Amino acid sequence: MRVLLVEDDPDMAESLKASLSADSHEVDHANDGGVGEQMASEGGYDVIVLDRMLPTKQGVAIVRDLRGKGVSTPVLILSALHDEDHRIEGLNAGANDYLGKPFSTRELLARVRALWHGRDLGPQTRLTVGGLEMDLLARTVRRDGKKLDLQPREFRLLEYLMRNAGQTVTRKMLLENVWDYHFDPQTNVIDVHISRLRSKIDRDFSQTLLHTVRGSGYRLDG
Amino acid sequence: MRPRLDALLRTTTFRLALVQAGVVLLFVGVMLAYVYFSTVGQLIRDSDALADQEYATLERAYAEGGMRRLNQEVVERAARQGPFLYVLAESNGVVVTGDFQQLPVEPREAPQRVDFSFELPDATGETVRGRASGRIGRLINGPILLVARDLGDSAVIAGRITRVLWTVAIIGIIVSIVSGLLAATQAARRAETLSTTAREVMAGDLTRRAPVRGAGDEFDELAEALNAMLDRIEQLMHTTRTAGDAIAHDLRSPLTRFRQKLEAALEKPADSEADREALRKALEEADKLFNMFAAVLKLSRVEEASNWRLTRVDVAEILRELLEFYEPAAEDEGLSFSGEVQDNLFIQGDHGLFTQAVSNLIENAIKYTPHGGRVQVRAIRRADARIEIAVADSGPGVPVADRDRVQERFVRLESARSSAGVGLGLSLVAAVARLHRGGLHLRDGLDNTSGGKGLDVALVLPAAA
Repeated sequence: MRVLLVEDDPDMAESLKASLSADSHEVDHANDGGVGEQMASEGGYDVIVLDRMLPTKQGVAIVRDLRGKGVSTPVLILSALHDEDHRIEGLNAGANDYLGKPFSTRELLARVRALWHGRDLGPQTRLTVGGLEMDLLARTVRRDGKKLDLQPREFRLLEYLMRNAGQTVTRKMLLENVWDYHFDPQTNVIDVHISRLRSKIDRDFSQTLLHTVRGSGYRLDG
Repeated sequence: MRPRLDALLRTTTFRLALVQAGVVLLFVGVMLAYVYFSTVGQLIRDSDALADQEYATLERAYAEGGMRRLNQEVVERAARQGPFLYVLAESNGVVVTGDFQQLPVEPREAPQRVDFSFELPDATGETVRGRASGRIGRLINGPILLVARDLGDSAVIAGRITRVLWTVAIIGIIVSIVSGLLAATQAARRAETLSTTAREVMAGDLTRRAPVRGAGDEFDELAEALNAMLDRIEQLMHTTRTAGDAIAHDLRSPLTRFRQKLEAALEKPADSEADREALRKALEEADKLFNMFAAVLKLSRVEEASNWRLTRVDVAEILRELLEFYEPAAEDEGLSFSGEVQDNLFIQGDHGLFTQAVSNLIENAIKYTPHGGRVQVRAIRRADARIEIAVADSGPGVPVADRDRVQERFVRLESARSSAGVGLGLSLVAAVARLHRGGLHLRDGLDNTSGGKGLDVALVLPAAA
């Protein structure tokens, strides 16, 4: 996967490049907004990771202009400003995800993969992962043909996990995408929701689909 | 002394004293004029009337007997030593006969009123000064006739009255200026004590207070207001210092652990498993530090009301979602978790902040309530049209004396020191309440097994129209 990293802080850029490369991505780096936009427009990238505060041109303006030019590459904005207003401004400009600094490398890698993964999906009516089948129109879930009884929120949680099957999703990603919450609960609320879901989709079956990724989050494998 | 005097002259009280002196002067002036016209003026008017009669008599004598008759009349009358003074002169002004050698005033064509001072020898030959008032005029064919009445003792009385009035006026002005100066000095001295207090506080002694004399006057009021302001500032300084100390204190522990873990890993021989574990722990400590910083920054932002645009927020919807979100975690902790949410609850607020505030309350309740306890959440519209979101628990509660204190930054009760958290949760909720023009109230909650009352934390906000 080809990733364009636009980040002006040399230390930060070096460490992000190393992490992304270690996660087997091919990384190009621009340390200035204008150059970054030029490289992004020329295309060929799967995901763009954009710092919000950049010399010559700000991250939010770059996304807006790229979208104006019809460049649809998924964009993740990194920012020290991660208040609700700033996040919404970034997303409205056309960014696909917004991550506040400081963030863990695992969080960033999980989100970069999720962006690339989510890009191809488009509108679907059925999701299938291993023996798990989700009918998005009938709002039903079956595993190996057996119907599972899920609460609406459990359905949305599973839907998100299935759309990102094979990828690690962090607790923060689940909070933001399933509940639209943008604060960190101090208690292990997400873990409890996951264990409830797991008891419904995995308990009566020999093969475990929903895995805990230590220190990062969860992964649904087919 | 000079600057003090300048300052004195500029004071409001002194200016008022000057105005007062002006008013006294005007009053005395009017009094003087009134007394003058009703005494001296009356005397002159009376004698003028008599002088006019005498003049008319002589005018008739002239009309009947000509210059010779008039001259004779004047000589006779002047010799009588009566109250009248006479002068008869030729048309060119040369005196023919009368009490004066020269005309005391220049005549005009028409008869006119005259009022003049004169000096004449009296019976014993001594010169006496006097004042007279009367009439002068030219008769037909030119001779000039003056008839005046010596005001005599009346003039002396009038002069005394006038002097007394002037004396009173001058004393009045002096008294009002002096009393004004005294009042101004007094005011300046009291203002000076206030400024001295302010300067001492500026010099760094925040414990200084302005003296209150107990007279209940405006200076006492001012001193009390100043003292109240200083109390507030001192309290804020204390809070800031406490917060600063608390940050330093709370940062020191994770920083120490952070450093110690890295150092221990470095000192031991390389062992990739142990090193990784040490790094993982160090990372956890770093995350704790970041969480603290984030919480402090968020609190500061919430406290700045201009950062926020408030919109219509559906309280009932947010509460139902939060209840659904926390219900499994609460159940996992062995708590009985219930919610009562009325329909149609709206506030003017910030969706994200309000959600976080309520989530903090629910998390606190879940965190502090022991296994087997109860947590009840309710959102209702009160009779006073305010919306109350309350989270009651059967946990250990907070002593009444500490209920205000736990809303301050970084305050965690000793009993909670060992548990996770940075002591910013409730202060954030309190700040969110203030931002929404509402309040946060801590009360007794649900009965617990140890005979305690638990805690009920209520967020009371004005309902949106």
